[in-house]
Order: sequence, then C-alpha cells, then structure tokens
Amino acid sequence: MLRSFSLALARLLAIMLLASLLGATLIRIAPGFSSDEQELNTSLSAQSIQAIRQARLADADVPRYYGKFLISLVRGDLGISQSLNQPVKDLLWERLPVTLKGIGIALSLAWMLGLILAVIAQLANSAWLTFVTDAMSGVFISTPAAVLALVFVILRLPPEWAAALLVFPKIYRYCQNLLQHSYGLPHVLTAHAKGAGRSRILIWHVAPTALPQLLALVGVSISIVIGVLLPIEVICDVPGIGQLAWQAAQSRDLPLLVNLTLVVAFVTVLATMLSDAARRRFTHGWRTAVA
Amino acid sequence: MKALRITAVVLLLAAALAALGASYIAPAGYEHQFREAPDASPSAQHPLGTDDLGRDRFARLLYGMRVSFFLAPLAAAVATALAALLGGLAGYFGGWIERCIMLLVDLFLCIPWLFLLITVRAVLPLNISPEASVVLTFTLLGLLGWAASARVICAGTRDMMKSEFVWLARATGFSGFKLVRLHLLPNLRGTLLAQFWISIPVFIIAEANLGVLGLGVSEPLPSLGSLLRELQHVVTLRPEPWQFVPLIVLIVVVSSFQTLLNKHEVRA
Repeated sequence: MLRSFSLALARLLAIMLLASLLGATLIRIAPGFSSDEQELNTSLSAQSIQAIRQARLADADVPRYYGKFLISLVRGDLGISQSLNQPVKDLLWERLPVTLKGIGIALSLAWMLGLILAVIAQLANSAWLTFVTDAMSGVFISTPAAVLALVFVILRLPPEWAAALLVFPKIYRYCQNLLQHSYGLPHVLTAHAKGAGRSRILIWHVAPTALPQLLALVGVSISIVIGVLLPIEVICDVPGIGQLAWQAAQSRDLPLLVNLTLVVAFVTVLATMLSDAARRRFTHGWRTAVA
Repeated sequence: MKALRITAVVLLLAAALAALGASYIAPAGYEHQFREAPDASPSAQHPLGTDDLGRDRFARLLYGMRVSFFLAPLAAAVATALAALLGGLAGYFGGWIERCIMLLVDLFLCIPWLFLLITVRAVLPLNISPEASVVLTFTLLGLLGWAASARVICAGTRDMMKSEFVWLARATGFSGFKLVRLHLLPNLRGTLLAQFWISIPVFIIAEANLGVLGLGVSEPLPSLGSLLRELQHVVTLRPEPWQFVPLIVLIVVVSSFQTLLNKHEVRA
C-alpha cells in the first residue's frame, strides 16, 4: 500500500517536472521567444529596451533557467510574471479558484447530461431517440470550443454551460458504448431472462460492471474540461487560468507559462491518479463483497 | 445506420469536390476585392455576400475548405507516422524503452492538448507569410497530436509480439526490419488507419479553434478557422445569419467523419 502510494507520488512528481521542462523548452526554442512587445513602446528609453533584452537573454539558457526555477520552487517562490509584473503565486491564487469552480460546474453538468441521456437511450431502446441523442452529441462534438463560446457571449449564457456542452458528447458516447457492452454480458442476459425489472438490472447487474470504467473516465474528463475551458475563458473574458495562460503565451511570459504548465499538469495527473485509485478500490471492494 | 453512413459519405464527397473545384465554382479568387460592394448581403453574384473588405464569402469558404480539409489529413499522417514510430518502438522493444516512451506519452497526455497547442502556437512568430502560417499550423498539429495514437499502437504491437505467428517468424530467423515490414506493419494497418481517420476531425476542429483565436492561418489565405473569426462581428455589430454558413459546413463535415469513424474503429 505504502509502496504503491510512494510510486504514484514519484510518478506524479516526475511528470510535473518533465511537463514544466517541456513547456520551458518549447517556448525557448520557438523563434519568437527573443522578441518582446515592449521593445515597440516608443516611450521607453534605449537603456530600458536594453534592460528588457538583457532580462530575456538571462532566461534564454533553459537548463540554467530551469535549475534556478526548481531551487526557487522548493523555497515556495514561483517568480515574478514578466508581462503582468506581479508575483506568479498571487496570480495563480487569484485565478485558480475561478477555473476550479468552472471545472466543477462544467464537469457536473456534462456528467449529468451524458449519463442521463446514455441511460435513457439504452433503456428506451428506441431507434428514434438514439438518433436524436446521437445527433445532439454529434453537433457539439463537431463545434469548436471558441465558436460555442462566441454563441454563449451573444446569448449571455454562463460560460461553464458551454464547457459542459462540449464535454458531454464524449461522456455520452463512452457511457453508451459501455452500457451496450454491459447489457450484453451473460449475467445481465440471465437476469433479464429470469424476469428481473429494468431498474433492478441497471442498479444490481449493469452499474457494478460499468462503474470502474466510468470512474477511470472521470480523471480523463477533467483534462478534457481544462482543454475546452481555455478558449472559453479567453472569449468570454473569464479571469481564470485559461485566460492567464493566453495572456502569458501572447506576451511570451516564460515564468508564468512554466508555472501554469506545472499547475495544469498537477491537476490533470492528480485527477487521473485519484480516479484510477477509486476504480481499483471499487473493483477490489466489489470482488470482496461478491466472494 | 446504413442510410446515415451513405449520407455522410455523400456529404464528404460533395465537400471534397466543392473544395477541389473551388477555382471553377467560386465567383472570384479568395483575395479578390469587390471594392464597390463591401459588407454586401447575399445576391446572385455573391451567394453569401461579401466581407468588410469586399471579398466574396462563398469563394473564401470554398478555398478555406480546401485548406482545412486537405491539410488536416496531412497533419493526421504526420501524427500517425510519429505515433507508429514511437508506439511501435515501445511495443517492439518493451522494457525500459517502453517505459521511457510511455512516460513521454503520459507527459503529452497530461497537458490538455489545446493548452499546449495554443501556448506553442502563440510564441511562434505571427508576422509570417500566409503560406508559411498554413504549413506551421498544420505541422504543429501533427507534431503535438501523436500521443494518444502512440499508446494504442504500442498496445497493438505488444500484443502482436506475443502472438504465435511472430514467435514462429522469429524462430525461423526473421528479425528487425524484415519482421516489422512483413509481419508487424501489415497486421497493424487497421489500427494505423483507424488512428489516422480519428485524427482528421480532431485536427480540423483544432485548426478552427486556433483560427477563431487569431493563431491559425494568416490573412488573406482563408481556412475554416479564419472564416469563423467573422462571427466575432456578429457579437459586436449585426446579426447576419449567412455568416454562420462556415460553422454549419464545419459541423456537417466533422459530424460526417464521426459517423464514418465508428465503422473504422470497429474494423480496427
């Protein structure tokens, strides 16, 4: 137990560190890294522009920059944002709750919608209803997040709903396939043949076999929600992590981008690990109960 | 379901033909300006009206479809080739090589793809030629979108390496490139094709997202993403329903791909 926990923690740390290093390297090797928007500011003196260039050059050596970053990180110092001139820690502290709230609302709505529609489509066993729910999920899976965000701005609807609508098709399709598979299992067919009711089959025979895989999907869906929230926050002017990442990317703010990559990697890897752990625990518990 | 698939094939063929025949169907070139008629409403001469620079929207839609629908498969080919190489190496060798490559896959998968794409695209120069921006955008899609496919291919290769026919082939002296060329690649063809087809709609949507955010193909070259940028005017200026046509085309094409994909996935 302790060994598997330590291994999982080591994996989480390794992925987070590699993710932030990957972010720093990609940004550094990008051809636009050495240029700074502030150099175009005519009100700045030659010395100020020279100082900006020197500051850029100081970050140009990725291993050196990353080494310094890790030492500061251990001390709890995340550095100063070059573009916003504020401590990165403060910026993350302000923006993270907004995004986490968005993730929570969007995930809850997407799971509710996806799961309910998949169960209804399966239980109703109607080709027409399946066609309608498939078409609905097809439309949203084919719509770019940025465009749906624009539509939501026009309609003045909450941006989290847009994220939920973009994520629900993936949950719906996965749940639908899973339910179809589960309803075809021999023990479910036997229960059906013996005259068990629909709700009894769903709760006692289908749910226990489908739940472990659904729990694994929860972790993946968090990563999907973060991905779609980025353009939504930019278009809908939501002051969250996505908008901050956008601002940091546009102003080539290396300290901010590296920290954001670290935070995003931490949230997604932790979510995946927790959902995997929940899946394993549930499977183990269920097998013990059955035995 | 068969009727739905036939409809999807017909729609995709119609879109491909319209994009291929853009030079013949379009009333003008994508950058030709009708300076006497900027922001014109739909008419016989301009079926979807003109934009604020007087360019024919229908012509731009056809040429934009050409860019998006023909370069997305190229990006998908790049991503699938990378996935085949890395996933194949991991599955073939196993051991620490597999663990290292899978760590790299986990790394790419743990950062949301759109986040990575926007971050990297935003730091690339924006003042490049339109042609270079097209190549850059779709190359980036191909280079960053391989991870999920690599995991599937690795699993497929690993299973195959344990199969009896590969053992037999190895026992008879097959190894290295010969084993890959004669046994692994032909048997992985279904998986590779499925991954290729799955990537195409994903890349079309990713390009559209980048385009709306102004990080896609540069003006005056049109793509579906850059055409969707016009929807921002709908928010701020006036509601013009015909400006939604590129969005409808995008949804129809991607939905058609999704409809056909289920069959490919089953085959794989």
